[in-house]
Amino acid sequence: MSERLPRARAIRMGRALAVVTVLCALPFYLDAFWLRIGLFSMAAAVGAVGLGLLSGTAGQLSLGHAFFLAVGAYGYVWLAGEPGPGLPTAVAAVLAVLLAGAAGGLFSPVAGRVRGIYLGVATLALVFLGHHVLLTADSVTGGFNGRSVPPLEVGGFSFSTDSELTLLGVPFGAEERLWYLGLGLFAVTWFTARGILRGRPGRALVALRDSETAAAVMGVNVSRYRSAAFVVSSMYAGLAGVLLALSFRRVVPDYFGLVLSVDYLAMIVIGGLGSVAGATAGAVFVTALPLLMTRYADQLPLVAAPGTTDGTIGPTEAARYLYGAAIVLILLFTPDGLHGLARRLRARLRSRRAAPPPSGTTAPSQPPTSAARAKEPTP
Amino acid sequence: MTSLLDNVFNGLALGAVYALVALGFVIIFKASGVMNFAHGSLLLLGGYLTAVLHDDLGFAGALAVSVLVTAAVAGAMDRFLLQAGGGPDPHTAHVQTIVTIGVDILIVTDLSRRIGGDLLSLGDPWGDSVSGLGPVTVADSRIAAIVVSAVVIAGVFALFRYTTWGLSLRASAEDVEAASLMGVRLVRVRMLAWCLAGALAALAAVFLAAFPAPGLERTTGQIALKAFPAAILGGMASPPGALAGSLLIGMTEALVAGYQSDLHVLGEGFGDVAPYAVMVLVLLVRPTGLFGGKAAVRV
Amino acid sequence: MTVRTTAPPELTVTDVTVRFAGLTALDAVSFTVAPGSVHALIGPNGAGKSTCFNVLSGLCRPATGTVRLGDADLTRLAPHRIAALGMARTFQNIVTTQGTVADNLMLGRHALSRSGFAANALRLPQARREQREHLDRAREIAELTGLAGHFDIPVDLLSYGDRKRVEFARALCLEPSVLLLDEPVAGMNAAERARTVEVVHTVRAELGLSVVLVEHDMGLVMRLADEVTVLDFGRRIAHGTPDEVRSDPEVLRAYLGTGAGQEDAA
Repeated sequence: MSERLPRARAIRMGRALAVVTVLCALPFYLDAFWLRIGLFSMAAAVGAVGLGLLSGTAGQLSLGHAFFLAVGAYGYVWLAGEPGPGLPTAVAAVLAVLLAGAAGGLFSPVAGRVRGIYLGVATLALVFLGHHVLLTADSVTGGFNGRSVPPLEVGGFSFSTDSELTLLGVPFGAEERLWYLGLGLFAVTWFTARGILRGRPGRALVALRDSETAAAVMGVNVSRYRSAAFVVSSMYAGLAGVLLALSFRRVVPDYFGLVLSVDYLAMIVIGGLGSVAGATAGAVFVTALPLLMTRYADQLPLVAAPGTTDGTIGPTEAARYLYGAAIVLILLFTPDGLHGLARRLRARLRSRRAAPPPSGTTAPSQPPTSAARAKEPTP
Repeated sequence: MTSLLDNVFNGLALGAVYALVALGFVIIFKASGVMNFAHGSLLLLGGYLTAVLHDDLGFAGALAVSVLVTAAVAGAMDRFLLQAGGGPDPHTAHVQTIVTIGVDILIVTDLSRRIGGDLLSLGDPWGDSVSGLGPVTVADSRIAAIVVSAVVIAGVFALFRYTTWGLSLRASAEDVEAASLMGVRLVRVRMLAWCLAGALAALAAVFLAAFPAPGLERTTGQIALKAFPAAILGGMASPPGALAGSLLIGMTEALVAGYQSDLHVLGEGFGDVAPYAVMVLVLLVRPTGLFGGKAAVRV
Repeated sequence: MTVRTTAPPELTVTDVTVRFAGLTALDAVSFTVAPGSVHALIGPNGAGKSTCFNVLSGLCRPATGTVRLGDADLTRLAPHRIAALGMARTFQNIVTTQGTVADNLMLGRHALSRSGFAANALRLPQARREQREHLDRAREIAELTGLAGHFDIPVDLLSYGDRKRVEFARALCLEPSVLLLDEPVAGMNAAERARTVEVVHTVRAELGLSVVLVEHDMGLVMRLADEVTVLDFGRRIAHGTPDEVRSDPEVLRAYLGTGAGQEDAA
């Protein structure tokens, strides 16, 4: 909150610049497999940041994230495709995000009033009803077999392999191009979500989570902010849905099931509730783990190659064991996730280097580590 | 007319089985403030154990072992994973709810791997026999479901009312601090609640896998998810509410499925998701369920 | 920023009755808080003091009666609207939110600022300017309340007394015309108590606001209050200056025959 020292700020900027440079250079060095991992991770991160805002920051448990992802993905496909209005793809992508936000808004009569566990189960209904609609509304969604996704085109540049493109001797296929799209959208997500969290709305959402009563007497319009959290989170989910649709090139109803919602919940829990960086780390972990396990199954102990059915553990199963265990262990030992772990390590390093906290009267009455921050709002 | 009676009977049978599951949810929620997302996997575990053991132990023996083991697993999960984290603070309850998701992933992954694409028979004595009941013909397994559920649920209510455990459970749900001051051993009361819920889930698995269902599949556990709306409809902290909610959900599902052809605008298979639609409608009017007062939301 | 120069409006509570499931928590309670005064609500536990605060801040709706602040009728308004009209409060048990002292104080500026999701997401210049200006004011208030040294410290790390002060400062950040303090020194040691009294004096002098105080520390009530209203079982049993109330026989009876002046240690 205080003005950062110019030097610290310069270091921060330099570090950010280095990260961006590396991320931009990667498509010149990595093959399609790694690029796809990156792409899916970035898409998941966009969605996870949205869920983090809702469940981590505002404390509203949602199991309906898959539904909003589906609205974004199918919204894009329908708006840009045939049957459908066949809009220019860029317009369709923007509208799909807004559509997801509108879907979140439609849910606000429930989201504004229903609390805690009740809200969690109410959002469960979104996933099941949504899945049912995806299966039955054939004319829009293509039913069980889904629909193929029209590639995105912006200003004559297509994010697909339709046209040949070679940059610095590296052929630029769909993966390379989508990588930059994903990177751009993730940067937008990072920038906007941190802006929200550090600004007035972010503080209001944290207050909602920690004490609805305190938030209300401080002037926060509780039901409006509860609904707004849903709308904003759904828009990020919609954006992630568009990106996922473009990456998969085909959308099918079964992908957008309860398991997906749970995956996203796992991402923000593993990463640490309430932080953008945590949600990103969780998204990369949950997304990359099964893909890496599949790829390197033959080199891992106890894991069989994909396709073997002799009762040994396959790579996707191994990944699920690992990530189920990760949820349990992380919550048992560090309830604020990877992000909290990193923060504590940093704080410990800093306190070893610098003097103890500024005032002698500040006796730590409650260690921050013990406080699990997934709080249920007080009515 | 016959078809209406058919559907009502089916709804009753479904509702009775959902009630076993929903009652478990509610008991757990009442005792610990945790929404047990691993309930479906407990149910699957119970069904799986009955399926693999009935050849050796006979149906009754297998069921008994499965109920005991599932109860023990549920209790151990609460005692060693959830309660290890901390006391009865509602904020930790939220975290513990997510821990149950992790446990669910672990158990479901493991059982799915073992079951694979198979359909397991539980070796229940009713098979595919049917009986005439007045004008309708019903599967014996469904009659059994209703009878057994009714007896078991009555037993659970008696436990609530007449045992020290039931009294302690209700006291601690009212006021944790006061209960612990009065010497209620919260850790044990809570763990026993989880055991009971696990046992109920294992029992419910039998009827969910019995005729006319084809058998136990790796997805059978997901049926437990329908007990979520049932429990919510009833107000989450109210066992009689869970019972009413379950019957409502069972009826809705059976009637919607029964009149599928008249409801084709809603799409094929709407019966499966109708419970959720009902739940959302009810929550719009009563945000804490039909029987839930304000106190039902533990804060 | 906006520091009020005129006197705050008068707070009038008229015949407020609150019932919970057949129990009458407040029974036709009336009192008036004169502009710029310190008004204490006292009474034994369960007398209805906290219920009264909840009515004033909109958390609890009275069955009958009205609450007015100047010309505005607060009786049926939502809490956040009442806050926007200049009524701020603290809680008996500390309710701070996660984050630094600065974050908590900035929450107090919520009703006075307006940038929304879009402006903050895009970090528009107006949102950043607003944030900067309010941060400056929050820092001033932190200085006024003696929290300047803790401004960037997470609230979790502060002592109990300091956290109570954060709540107090957060309420002040609302630039209230009426400040409701619910047991501001409960659980504090002598030094912290003295400091809080000093701060209340300071803010009253510098910001010119009215204060409604619920407190069990009678010494503090007698030193701070201009007027005292005594509640017992939801009814107003006495009213007047501290000296008048101290010698009121009804009050002595309500406090089980002990002299009100000896309650200091409570």
